[in-house]
Amino acid sequence: MSAPVLEEAPAPPAPRERWSLHRVFSSKASWVLVVLAVWIILGSILSGIHTLTLATAAQSPFTSWLTEVASAIRGNRTESVAFVYFFNPVRGGIEGFIEVIRSVIAVPGAGDVIPVIGWLGVIAIVGFVVFATSNWRTSLLCMALLFACGALGVWSDTMDTLAMTLGSVALSLAIGLPLGIWAGLSDRALAVMRPALDLAQILPTLVYLAPLALVFLIGVASATIATMVYSIPICVRLTSHAIRELRGSGALEAARSMGSTRWQMLRKVELPMAKRTIILGVNQTTLAALSFVVIAALIAAPGLGKPIVTALTIRNVGDGVVAGLAVVFLAIMLDRATTAAVVRSDTILSDEGRVRRRIALAVAAVAAVAAIILSRQVLWAAVFPPALVIGEPVGAAADAATEWFTSTFSWLTTGVAEFLTVWVLNPLESLLVNSPWWLTVVAISLIGLLIGGRVVGVVTVVLLTAIVVIGLWSDAMATFAQVLMATAFTMIVGVVLGVLAGRSAKVERALKPILDAGQTLPAFVYLVPVLALFGPTRFAAIVCGVFYAAPVVVRVVADGVRGVSSDMVESATAQGSSSWQIIRKVQLPASSKSLMLAVNQGLIFVLAVVVIGGLVGGGGLGYLVLVGQSKPELAGKGLAAGLAIVLLGVVLDRIAQSSARRRS
Amino acid sequence: MRHSRPTTRIALVAAIASTGLVLAACGGGVNEAAQEPAAEAPAAEAPAAEEPAAEAPAEEAPAEEPAAAAPAECGEWGIAMHPWVGYTASAQVITNVAQSALGCTIEQAQLDEAGVTYDAIEAGSTDVVIEDWGGGRWQEWVDRGAVQEVGNNGNVGLIGMYVPQWMCDEYPDISDAANLNKYAELFVTPESGGKGAWYEGPPGYTTIGEKMIEANKFDFKAINTGSEQALIDVLTKGSEEKTPVIAYFYEPQNFLAKVPLCRVNFPANDWTDAAEASGLTDYPKTELKKLASTELMESGSPFATLVQNFSWTNEDQNQVALDIESGTSPEEAAQKWIDANMDTVNGWLEGTGASM
Repeated sequence: MSAPVLEEAPAPPAPRERWSLHRVFSSKASWVLVVLAVWIILGSILSGIHTLTLATAAQSPFTSWLTEVASAIRGNRTESVAFVYFFNPVRGGIEGFIEVIRSVIAVPGAGDVIPVIGWLGVIAIVGFVVFATSNWRTSLLCMALLFACGALGVWSDTMDTLAMTLGSVALSLAIGLPLGIWAGLSDRALAVMRPALDLAQILPTLVYLAPLALVFLIGVASATIATMVYSIPICVRLTSHAIRELRGSGALEAARSMGSTRWQMLRKVELPMAKRTIILGVNQTTLAALSFVVIAALIAAPGLGKPIVTALTIRNVGDGVVAGLAVVFLAIMLDRATTAAVVRSDTILSDEGRVRRRIALAVAAVAAVAAIILSRQVLWAAVFPPALVIGEPVGAAADAATEWFTSTFSWLTTGVAEFLTVWVLNPLESLLVNSPWWLTVVAISLIGLLIGGRVVGVVTVVLLTAIVVIGLWSDAMATFAQVLMATAFTMIVGVVLGVLAGRSAKVERALKPILDAGQTLPAFVYLVPVLALFGPTRFAAIVCGVFYAAPVVVRVVADGVRGVSSDMVESATAQGSSSWQIIRKVQLPASSKSLMLAVNQGLIFVLAVVVIGGLVGGGGLGYLVLVGQSKPELAGKGLAAGLAIVLLGVVLDRIAQSSARRRS
Repeated sequence: MRHSRPTTRIALVAAIASTGLVLAACGGGVNEAAQEPAAEAPAAEAPAAEEPAAEAPAEEAPAEEPAAAAPAECGEWGIAMHPWVGYTASAQVITNVAQSALGCTIEQAQLDEAGVTYDAIEAGSTDVVIEDWGGGRWQEWVDRGAVQEVGNNGNVGLIGMYVPQWMCDEYPDISDAANLNKYAELFVTPESGGKGAWYEGPPGYTTIGEKMIEANKFDFKAINTGSEQALIDVLTKGSEEKTPVIAYFYEPQNFLAKVPLCRVNFPANDWTDAAEASGLTDYPKTELKKLASTELMESGSPFATLVQNFSWTNEDQNQVALDIESGTSPEEAAQKWIDANMDTVNGWLEGTGASM
């Protein structure tokens, strides 16, 4: 890479991209601005006309129809053929499967003190399995994390959560891996699955909880199925991606020319070569399942979600934090165990090393079996010793810290929140909510058309009109305003931290535990402090969204920045560019595809916690989902609000994705 | 050969795991010791045997002795836990009594009120609602034979709109709803779009705020707070920092004893079903109901009798709720009240043959 090239355009592969960006700005962007201007002017003239507002307790024709449907489904659960021969057996089967796992590690049988295996036995098994699949260091870490969960005083809830996670991961993999392999091998299969995969990815978790519970009733089965709906698509996507990546590689050609059958090629070449990515898929599936198990407490699933939800109702931040910490520990444990297995699957040992490892494995196995037996015979190894439990002081400390933080900073946070609400959120919401609905539909669709092309434009018109027909237009637009603002904040936080993490391995290491925690910490844990800091406001809902979405955005941006070729960065450095110049002129432009992906992910993640926002004063669709869950007479409105969230999600996703595609 | 190594490893893991399980299943020393009645396992050591679902079993260890004396088999039952402190107080007291006096196994399940809970009862995953505010919203489930009304629980619910006490001191006529518009400007926040902010109750609660605003032409905007937590925060702040605030609240709630509030009065109530409320009149006084699964009520279990007999006053509930809010665990707070009110509790146990 020679210096003169750099002077014209800092990033050699980038010139085309910068040029196209430039073109987008000169033509399309100006049109988008025109549309926006017309929208704002007309919207303020016609403000308050045709806004389609609907009182919380009022129904539209569509929502009252849905209410009747929900009631009919409830009435039919014991009689209808679909229930007797399909839904109820499925529920029974899944419940039975999970209960078996729970009875081994989590729930004592009738009249028993401990489950089949006591705490020491469980830790020993985990330690051994991790040692066998990765290395002793990870194994020690995992055992320590599990021990910490016991020390926090939530052993049995932790085991319930672990059991539910393992159970739903096993079921998800049993379905997801074959589907993923199939989608990897056949274009047609992928084409059929893709819409479902796309939809599942943007479906906010709290939205399908209610319909699932309607069919599979409250409890373990619904929670497990909900978890599977959430994690199977991730598994399918990564598995098919893993297999597709091998296409056109030499190994496949070689195998084919040697006359291997399709099955042989899959088993001997494709699967082993794709193993690394597939294990990554297992990793992501596991974390997704874990993050869901807590939400599942809302439909009475056992586990760590229970104390977290209770903590919210009796204003006990401490208990919530203790249980939340246990969730984070479990997440780190499962994450490290599966990623270490990836590394391990790549290492090849010498003969001598292999022998040594066999011996070590044998010793570990004996120790594990001994621990299991001990955990059934001796009380201290069976029931976690109360003397070692430090949950209470930890909770009290968390309580005190939260109290101090909220009382010290609430003047600041309230001030900032009010400023941003008055100057950003209110005007934005007023534009979306108070403009006539047809003006907003036309304006957003035109923007979709300009950014994404004809198909996106048409999709936008159709889906937005559907929201109008459902009868929840005004609430949907209120939610839309919050989602836009939360996504903007998420991007600011995400890009700053992402660039820092992408440029420095040290920053990345420091951020990793925080990101892990952010991604797995159940939203309920921070609802109480968020309420104390911001009060029941739409801004509080926005803060919840940013908390939830920022870690993903940081990861994607950091990944993009790291992916920028080091040659480019080095030559820019040699040119004497400052760090700021490198970031602005080289790293950000060259990772623009990642940035667009980050926007997309940010939008989807923000949308996923819209319902949580309803708990802290966000109003809009999220609140309606909650209303529908607790008021049977408004059940249909809640279901319709869930549907509207999904429609909004598809529109935003289509627009963001198409713009990402166009820019790459 | 690359792929064969993991295969053997997995086989090895499976073999060890199953051997472990088989070995473990042979001798469960801890469990066996626990099953031998009282002889070897001292009560304090084996509390989990009594209530596997309870989080803090140690406190209930004294429960053991009366359990042995329980005449009729109680069995395993569930109670729904709704998300407000008063409810937690009632549910925990009845749980403690059922466990210690009747030897029942009670599983508490966190469930939102109404639909979710009725569904759970129908599914057989829980059995009792100890405090339900909705006048008859469970009818559909009663019609299908899943749920039964078990009478009043003694608590009387009163919902209303409240302002902090200092506002009534400063603006004496604000306690009459007819004067609210005069003060609407005081309540404006960035959230309320130029009108007064009117904080509404959480999603599941009976609320008619939007109707009240419309029918009375109030210059207010209803803010859906989303949780009781939010209401408490708003009212606490309004009292402590003297910021004007009007919010939905209700009795029985121990919060009213801690932060002085002043009720905004509307003309006397003339409705019971929120759907038929005009919005011009106040919320009704509601006798709070107990609901239970048909399965429980027809089982002949002494727990059914206990649920049937359970009844206490708003003051009773507030005492326990206050303890819970100030950091005592629900189990301890409930036990404290039980110990101080043995007569009442024994009254509930009438007909079961057991007593405390």
